[in-house]
Amino acid sequence: MRQRVTLAQKGHDLLREKMDALVIEFFEIVRKIGIVRAKTMQQLSSAYRSLSTCFAVQGTIETYQAAREAKKEVGVDISTRHIMGILVPTIEAKLVERHALARGYGMYATSSALDEASRDFERALGDLIKLAELEEGAREIALELEKTKRRVNALEYVILPNLKSMVKFISMRLDEMERENFSRLKRIKAMFEGRE
Amino acid sequence: MSFKIATIADAETAAGFALAGVQDVHIHERKEGTLAKLDELLVSKDVGIVFITYRIAEELGFEFRRRIKTKKLLPVVLRIPDKTGWLPKVDELHEIIRRTVGAEIIVKGGS
Amino acid sequence: MSTDRILQFELARLNAHLPEQRITLKDALSSSNPQVVAKDGSKHKFERVELEYISKIVHADDWDKLRLPILIAVNPKLGRGAAEISGEVEVKVISQVLGKECRDREIVIYRPEIAVVRAKLPTTTQYFFMVG
Repeated sequence: MRQRVTLAQKGHDLLREKMDALVIEFFEIVRKIGIVRAKTMQQLSSAYRSLSTCFAVQGTIETYQAAREAKKEVGVDISTRHIMGILVPTIEAKLVERHALARGYGMYATSSALDEASRDFERALGDLIKLAELEEGAREIALELEKTKRRVNALEYVILPNLKSMVKFISMRLDEMERENFSRLKRIKAMFEGRE
Repeated sequence: MSFKIATIADAETAAGFALAGVQDVHIHERKEGTLAKLDELLVSKDVGIVFITYRIAEELGFEFRRRIKTKKLLPVVLRIPDKTGWLPKVDELHEIIRRTVGAEIIVKGGS
Repeated sequence: MSTDRILQFELARLNAHLPEQRITLKDALSSSNPQVVAKDGSKHKFERVELEYISKIVHADDWDKLRLPILIAVNPKLGRGAAEISGEVEVKVISQVLGKECRDREIVIYRPEIAVVRAKLPTTTQYFFMVG
């Protein structure tokens, strides 16, 4: 019985350390998200503006045509890293050149407006990929943190007090039983002595 | 491992992403069509990231949130602002932070 | 009792992220895809930026002595928020990150220091929970 208290206590202490460690991880990734979000929003705004300009200068139809014919493909390399029992993605942008011509809008002459819009969106894409990695990581950590917190609380407020009061109860009962035994022996002894 | 990128957006935003090299773009028109596309992307083994605009995600509502909760690790789904910059009133990340840490923490650069 | 079983399960899970085999800094630096594999087969990738940072701190002769990831050993007996780093080379790396001078074979670091280490070396360090 006492063993169960020790186990629960040890489990509680260790899980609490895990919880503390997860909080450190969480704050660090949230800090990074703050920085990357700001940068990304700015870059995206820039990209949308360039695109508007492109629509105005190059023409709507031509812009959409160029978009359809863009030959470049961007992919991502996704791997994983561990943070205490959870897997978190690591994501890197990767350029996949499909044709010899980079970008390759097809038969349309490239205009600087189109180039600029493309470049701005490429930059924004790079930022967004980083943001995706971070936000997904934050989500996973938060989930694990919540789970761990629940366990720690359950141990601290329910299980350990229960176990401890059970130990106390059993201990009291044992003492009581011993006292009862002792007084029974005394009565038996008295009976014998009374006889003599 | 290598994966593709996909985007679900309005026509303009989709064009921007296409110019940047995203091959798989879905232009949102009706809820059912977009949800079907999303489901397709969520089970695809080739897609690593799905970008979807905040506006469209909001329009898909509960159906979107449910899929996000129950999806596998990949693809990663990120909501992004479109050219109007529209953002929902409640920032999901702020909510997570509040729930997790039990306090308001201001994330610089967020809304 | 079911709570005991949950406890056992959670305690077993605590270190499940640790690799079967750690790799030396030397091997990591020369690999095109430096990573370790956990007991369940999942992969953990080391960032090149971190490897290069460490290679500048550690003498080239010791590159095959340093095993990655560096373990941040959490032992509740040390008190809440404390952890231990063991190994001369490991201590050297961690001390450098913390801006301290340390030549011991073992040091104890505390929560704010742990945060600094984890921020600087997120993939080349890992927590190790001492259950035994």
